[in-house]
Amino acid sequence: MKVGFEIHIQVNSARKLFCNCNPKNEDISHLEFRRRLRVSSSELGEIDPAAAFEIKKGLDIIYVSGDKTSCLVEADEEPPHEPDPYSVEAAIKVSNMLNAFVVDEIHFMRKIVVDGSNTSGFQRTAIVGLNGNFDFRGKNVRIQTVCLEEDAARLQEKGEGHSKYELKRLGIPLLEITTEPLEISSEEARALAESLGRTLKLTGLFARGLGTIRQDVNVSLEGGGIVEVKGVQKLEQVSKVIDFEEKRHKMLFEIAAKLKERGVNEDSFEIDPIDVSEIFKSYANPTVKKFFKDSAMALKAPGFKGLLSYETVPDSRIGLDLADICRLFGFKGIIHSDEILKYGFGNDILNQIEDRLKVTDNDAYVLVFGDKEKAALCLQMVKERLKMAIKGPVAETRYATDKGTTRYLRPRPGASRMYPETDIPTIKITKEMKDKFKIEVKSWEKAVEDFSFRYSINKEMAEQILDSDFIDFFENAAESFPNVPPTLIASLIVQVFIPYQNVGKNIEYDEFIKLIELFSKGSIAKEAVIDLARYMLEKGLSLDNALKEMNIEKLSVDDLRKIIQEKISEVLQENIEPTKLYGTLMGRVMSVVRGKIEGKIVDEEVRKALESLKKD
Amino acid sequence: MEKIQDFSKIKFRIKDQVYEGIVMPRTLYEDEDHITVKLSNGYNIGIEKSKIEILKIEPQKAQSEVIQEKEFESHGPKILIIGTGGTISSKIDYRTGAVKPAFTASQIVDMVPEIKSIASINVKTIMNELSENMQPSNWTLMAKEVHDAFESGYEGIVIAHGTDTMHYSASALSFAIENPKGPVVFVGSQRSSDRPSSDAATNLLGAVTFAAKSYSPGVYVAMHASLDDDIIAIHKGVKVRKNHTSRRDAFKSINARPFAFVDIKKQEIRFTENKQEVKGSMRLYEKFSERAALLKFYPGISDKYLLSIFNKDLFDAIIIEGTGLGHVSRKAFPYLKDYIRNEGFIGMTSQCIWGSVRLTVYETGRDLLSIGVTPLEDMLSEVALVKSMWALGNGFNLKEIMPKNLRGEISERREVQ
Repeated sequence: MKVGFEIHIQVNSARKLFCNCNPKNEDISHLEFRRRLRVSSSELGEIDPAAAFEIKKGLDIIYVSGDKTSCLVEADEEPPHEPDPYSVEAAIKVSNMLNAFVVDEIHFMRKIVVDGSNTSGFQRTAIVGLNGNFDFRGKNVRIQTVCLEEDAARLQEKGEGHSKYELKRLGIPLLEITTEPLEISSEEARALAESLGRTLKLTGLFARGLGTIRQDVNVSLEGGGIVEVKGVQKLEQVSKVIDFEEKRHKMLFEIAAKLKERGVNEDSFEIDPIDVSEIFKSYANPTVKKFFKDSAMALKAPGFKGLLSYETVPDSRIGLDLADICRLFGFKGIIHSDEILKYGFGNDILNQIEDRLKVTDNDAYVLVFGDKEKAALCLQMVKERLKMAIKGPVAETRYATDKGTTRYLRPRPGASRMYPETDIPTIKITKEMKDKFKIEVKSWEKAVEDFSFRYSINKEMAEQILDSDFIDFFENAAESFPNVPPTLIASLIVQVFIPYQNVGKNIEYDEFIKLIELFSKGSIAKEAVIDLARYMLEKGLSLDNALKEMNIEKLSVDDLRKIIQEKISEVLQENIEPTKLYGTLMGRVMSVVRGKIEGKIVDEEVRKALESLKKD
Repeated sequence: MEKIQDFSKIKFRIKDQVYEGIVMPRTLYEDEDHITVKLSNGYNIGIEKSKIEILKIEPQKAQSEVIQEKEFESHGPKILIIGTGGTISSKIDYRTGAVKPAFTASQIVDMVPEIKSIASINVKTIMNELSENMQPSNWTLMAKEVHDAFESGYEGIVIAHGTDTMHYSASALSFAIENPKGPVVFVGSQRSSDRPSSDAATNLLGAVTFAAKSYSPGVYVAMHASLDDDIIAIHKGVKVRKNHTSRRDAFKSINARPFAFVDIKKQEIRFTENKQEVKGSMRLYEKFSERAALLKFYPGISDKYLLSIFNKDLFDAIIIEGTGLGHVSRKAFPYLKDYIRNEGFIGMTSQCIWGSVRLTVYETGRDLLSIGVTPLEDMLSEVALVKSMWALGNGFNLKEIMPKNLRGEISERREVQ
């Protein structure tokens, strides 16, 4: 198995790559505008069918522009400004760090992208470094390219006939670092991504936090196509995704062998989608009513009986890919013959469909309900996908799910439609710049050690925080509240934030800063900080509501003293050994005041009370 | 190192690495010490020539994209699309990135297939000028072409034009063709047609729709009404101005509402006022004189400048863009007086862009009136300039014809908007 990475990491610049907006600003107002992207019909062939279909039918794209985080440049209403010098410098530094050849002139290119994620219809990108290398466990991993490019707009919603994108992220400078595919295990691959990611983070040139580093993973098995998996945000996903893909590739080889056995070849696919609406029209059972509106199209899947739902790992079946293709066209999904019995259409209908499609023993079929013209186009794409299964795993683009599986996204685009960005003059990189823009490779171990020393936290915690998305939170909280022990903030991150983030919870920084502030004022006890944080994330509550629900209120020292006196009289009546007196009393008091006051204060007060008792 | 022929396949070494690619042409603004190489992944990079050791060069013929004219069928009113140049009529060469003129019927249909069902179109390219290079002689040529096209049976004309001076040309044709037989619609684009986000297609679609379906003779400009891609504003040629350097809704009707809007999706035209009736037969006044000038007044304007402009040997008409309601400093009065005494024409417009001049409110205005300056109401200064060039060219009396509303260039009332 060969694995390669494309690592995308956001440059920590105060402006975007081609304009002077700072994405870290807070927007005050938002404005929406509606666009459509077009490519001339002679170029439609270069675009994948689903995107081409959207363009043909005139998909509306709605853009949301925030007043402080985007401007006319992102709206495609003003030519790009000169490229951000800080980002250019960062790209040269990283290229140098990776021993890459730094080009003498940067030529920005336009890479055609028509899904709407770029207002212009293209992404601006340039090669800065070529042919570098990265030392990983003694192996020399070749770095193919270091590119400087603009990030895309974030998809906010995809509805019937429109997509909505937010412009804040569009234009943020990214470095894309591409490694040469390597014969490597999934565990090694994860470690490589981790190591490269850590090295990049330690340069200090990049933004930190959720979504600032994303990797695309390329996986291929000998004899199969290269599958590109997009959007792997978490390192934990890397090995899972690779393992999943390896099993899925093997399964696809198995299926290909079975198809060959059944005599399926290219010629078997000289079939077209058939309109089967007539069959459904004469029936009115509940299932038909549920699915059939006015049109149904069907396609024979020659030789696929049992293979559409066959899977060796959960969610790897071909049927799921076909359903995803249909979703790209706006359908809810598909029904295929391997699963059709469970729907309850009735044998009559199924027999008629099989007759119409001339389905024989080994064949399967696929049904799509909805707009006839769209369904026909969609089934053509389904047919292409099925045809590819003869060859086993084929080149395509997939995306990673949180579970570590992958889902179908689109066919692998052909050679990218790239042409020069004529609005941006080439940038000369002089020898002086190449010599000056250098950066040292820091060792991870040293960075962990420094971090652990600076905040007096153990190395294990230090490493976990440095690897996490919460390093900014940590530093911010530790600097803002010097009376709060950094270990407490570290525990909050390691014990609460990271595990909850791993199960997909969104961590609202501001609420947790308030929590730490509350502790720093002595209003809540150390024990309560972790409990409260867990409770907030578990129930999705704000700090105020969590405080109410957990019945936590501040206990004054006077009230504490009263409680201690009550408990002392209790304990004294029980004739407890003097050596156990402190422990028993402490336990009794804590059972009442836990979480309401700092344990250290309880300890002090209990000792004081016992001292005065002795004196008496 | 000698010049390597463009588009050659090249294999070269830098240090210990071997690279392959295609040598790309360099622009005029790029030096000759570097070469641009397109790598197999599609990216271009620039490399210092002295750094590379060439292993192999295979000269290749530059394969320019051959444009094949395809047959197509179109239905509807007969519309002629005239190409004159500018962003809308050019196309990028994907290989070189150079923008080159390309404006043929099949390319337009390729870009905007919807047109085929709206109008029966023909395309004629009569010149290829960036709009900043347009001259009055170009207006004359355009006017003649439009006149002839109507005479030969076209029902509407669309003129693709660069946007920078499109409103000057629209104004020129408004005056040059009296009672045109149908709509003459100027159209441009603010984003080049090679990008998927170009406004060229929708603007063109709006222009053709209006030319084919509005039955409104006159000269217009069709461009985006807002940042949205679905509504195209139709402005009167004598009331419109480019007001933004780059936005797609740069063109605005001044002191008037756009004449109509075209809803691209619904294929509907919404008029904001009554359609114009054809009052007489079509007549062509195609000449323009260059003996007119436009002067923007500003504080500190020098005597030398004033002296050189208000010179009857050079100019027969001066349009002033005055301040506010139409004023110039008292210090300019002697030059104006002299010029008018020598039978020069001075027309007053305002640099405020919006609103009308009114020379009766302040003393300065009244002085200017008594000097003999002609107030031009709410006529745009650019329109006034073109109108004076036209009036001079065709031998009209300026004092008489300039303040007269001929083509809707002067509004009698300005609505509260």
